Amino acid sequence: MRSLRGALLVTLLGAVTAATAVGAVAAYRIARREIDAIFDYHLRQLALSLRDRALGFPGPNVETGSDLVIQIWGPDGARLYVSSPGAELPDEAVIGFATVSTPSGAWRVYSAALGDQVIQVGQPLSVRGALAFAAAVRTLAPLFLLLLLLPFLVWTLVGRGLAPLDRLARAVATRTPLALDPLPEQGVPEEVRPLVRSLNGLMERLSAALESQRAFVADAAHELRTPLAALKLQAQLAERARDAGERTSALAELEVGLDRAGHLVKQLLTLAREERGAGEKPGEEAVALGELAAQTIADHARLAEAKGVDLGATAVDERAVVRGDPVALRTLLANLVDNAVRYTPSGGRVDVAVGVGPAESYLEVSDSGPGIPARERERVFDRFYRRPGTREEGSGLGLAIVKAIAERHGARVALGTAATGGLTVKVEFPLTTPTGTAALKIPLRESS
Amino acid sequence: MRLLLVEDDRMLGASVQRGLRLEGHAVDWVEDGEAAADALRAEPYDLLLLDLGLPRRGGLEVLRELRRGGERTPVLVLTARDAVADRVAGLDAGADDYLVKPFDLDELNARVRALLRRSSGRAEPVLEVAGLRLDPAAHEVTLDGVPVTLSSREFALLEALLERPGRPMSRTRLEERLYGWGEQVESNAVEVHVHSLRKKLGSRFIQTLRGVGYVVPRAP
Repeated sequence: MRSLRGALLVTLLGAVTAATAVGAVAAYRIARREIDAIFDYHLRQLALSLRDRALGFPGPNVETGSDLVIQIWGPDGARLYVSSPGAELPDEAVIGFATVSTPSGAWRVYSAALGDQVIQVGQPLSVRGALAFAAAVRTLAPLFLLLLLLPFLVWTLVGRGLAPLDRLARAVATRTPLALDPLPEQGVPEEVRPLVRSLNGLMERLSAALESQRAFVADAAHELRTPLAALKLQAQLAERARDAGERTSALAELEVGLDRAGHLVKQLLTLAREERGAGEKPGEEAVALGELAAQTIADHARLAEAKGVDLGATAVDERAVVRGDPVALRTLLANLVDNAVRYTPSGGRVDVAVGVGPAESYLEVSDSGPGIPARERERVFDRFYRRPGTREEGSGLGLAIVKAIAERHGARVALGTAATGGLTVKVEFPLTTPTGTAALKIPLRESS
Repeated sequence: MRLLLVEDDRMLGASVQRGLRLEGHAVDWVEDGEAAADALRAEPYDLLLLDLGLPRRGGLEVLRELRRGGERTPVLVLTARDAVADRVAGLDAGADDYLVKPFDLDELNARVRALLRRSSGRAEPVLEVAGLRLDPAAHEVTLDGVPVTLSSREFALLEALLERPGRPMSRTRLEERLYGWGEQVESNAVEVHVHSLRKKLGSRFIQTLRGVGYVVPRAP
C-alpha cells in the first residue's frame, strides 16, 4: 500500500534537492563569471603596469609563487623573460585577451604591445574554476545542511498534517458494529470533511437498514408467538383427550395449526429474501405474463374449487413479456391469486387478466370479495397488517411480499375496486422490448 | 367459574376456551375490544383473559375502561409482547397477572386458579369445610380423606359454593358460573347437580334456601 507520508517525503525531498542542485549550478556560474571579470582585470592591470615600468614608471612587484605567469617576447620572437621557468605560455600573441589551450590545460592570457616587444600575462583557467567552485560551495553550504535536516522535518510536519486522518481512523476503528451515530464534523480539516460526510452518509444508510432488519426480526418473533401458543395448547389438548374421537379432532386441529405456522414461516422467508434483494437487479430472464397467469391459475384450481370460487383468466395478451426473476414473479402472482380466492365468498369469481398498455405490461387480479376501502389501501402493504374483522387466518405478509417483488422489478402495484365490487390489484411493469423470440421460460416448480 | 376470553386469533382462542372448559370453567369468547367491552357491561365475570393486540379497540384500553368503572374483576393478560415496558404498561393499566405467548396450558390454569383464589379473599389453595376438601388444582374432592368422583359441572358447582361458606348463591348466579354462551342449560340443571352432589356427599353440606338459592353452612 502506498503511504501518503512516504510519498510526500520522497517527492518533497526530490523537489528540494533538484531545486538546490539548480541553485548550485547557478551559483557556480555566477561566481565564475565574477571571478573571470576580476582576474581579467588583474591580468590587464599587471600587463599594463609591466609595460609602464619598462617605460620608466614604477610598477607593481610581481610576486613569485603566484599562479600568474609573465612572459616577454622580443621582436624576433625570442622569449626575453619568463617569470616562472618551466611554465610556458603559448607563443601566439594576440593583443588583448585570449583563452588558449596548452598541454597543461586552458589559460587566460592578456597581451600588451610595448614597442616591438610583447608582454603577456597568463593564468591557468583551472585556478579560476576551483575558486568559483569554492565560492559556490560557501554560498550553498547552509542549504546543504538544511537538506540533511529536511527528511526529518518533512516526516514530522506531514505526520502532524495527517493527524486528523489518524484520529478519524481511530474513531471509526474503535466503534462497535452497532454504534452508527455520525462522526463529529467540527475540528475536522476542510480536506477531510468530505470523507467524514460520506462516512456519515454511509452510516446513516446502514443504520436505517439495520433498524429495518431489527424491526423485521422483532415483528417476526412477535407474529410467531400466537401460532406457537395455539400449537402448544392444541398439542396439550390432544394429550389430554379423554377418548379416541376427542383425540382425533384435537390432532386434526393441531395439523391445521402446524400448516398455518409453516405457511407463516415460509412467507417470512420469502419476504426476508425479497426485502434483502431490494436494490439488486431482479435478473434478465424474459417472462411471458400470459404463461405465468395460466400456470398460477392451474396451481390454485383446487383451492378455488374447494372454496366454490370460479377462478379463470379473462384477457390474455401474449405480447406481455417482462424481464426479471421468474420465480419471484410467480410468487407475486401466486400471492395475489391466493388472497383473492381466500377472501372471495363461495359462489364468487376471481379473474386474472394480462395485457399491454401504452407504457406498461400488466397483470390484473380481480375478485368479487368484500374489497378494501380506499383509506386502508396504503396500510394493507405493511407487513403483518391484517384488516380488522378479517375472518381468514392469513400471514399478513402476502401483499408485503407482492410489493417487495414489484419494487424490485420497477413495477407499480395499484389497488382498485373491481366491476363486481371486489378488489382489483393491478401490477404494472414498465414496457421493455423483448429481444426477438428468445425462449420464454416459466419454471414449473412449485414456489408458493 | 365464569370467564371472559378476549383473543382475536381464532385458533388460539378456540384452544384456550377448550382448555379452560376442561377445568370446569364456563368460558365466553369474544374476538375484539368492542365486543369485550359489551360483554363486560352485560355479564358478571369472575375473571377476564385479555389479549392486548386486539382489533377495533386495544386490550389496554378495554382494561383501563374496566378499572375506571371501579370493576375489580381479576384480569390476566395474554400477549405476544414480552418487553419489560409492555409488561409494566399492562400491569399499570390494571392487569393482575401477565402471561406471554406461547404459554403452557398447566401454567395458564394455575394462574387462573391463583387469581380466582385471591379475588375470593383466600390465600390457601384448598377449600375445606368440616372434612370436605376440594383442591381446585388437582381437581380432587375428598370427604373425610376418601376421594369422591364428581363430574366437572358438579365440581364447579361445589367449588362455587365452598368458596365462601355461609354465603348463599342464587340459582341464576350458579347457572352463570357453570355455563358459557351458547351452552345448553336445562331449566333444572342446577337442581339436578345439587341432587347428585347430595347423593355423593350426604345432604348436610348443601342447604336449599327457598326463594334464595343454595348455601354451604359454615359448620354443617
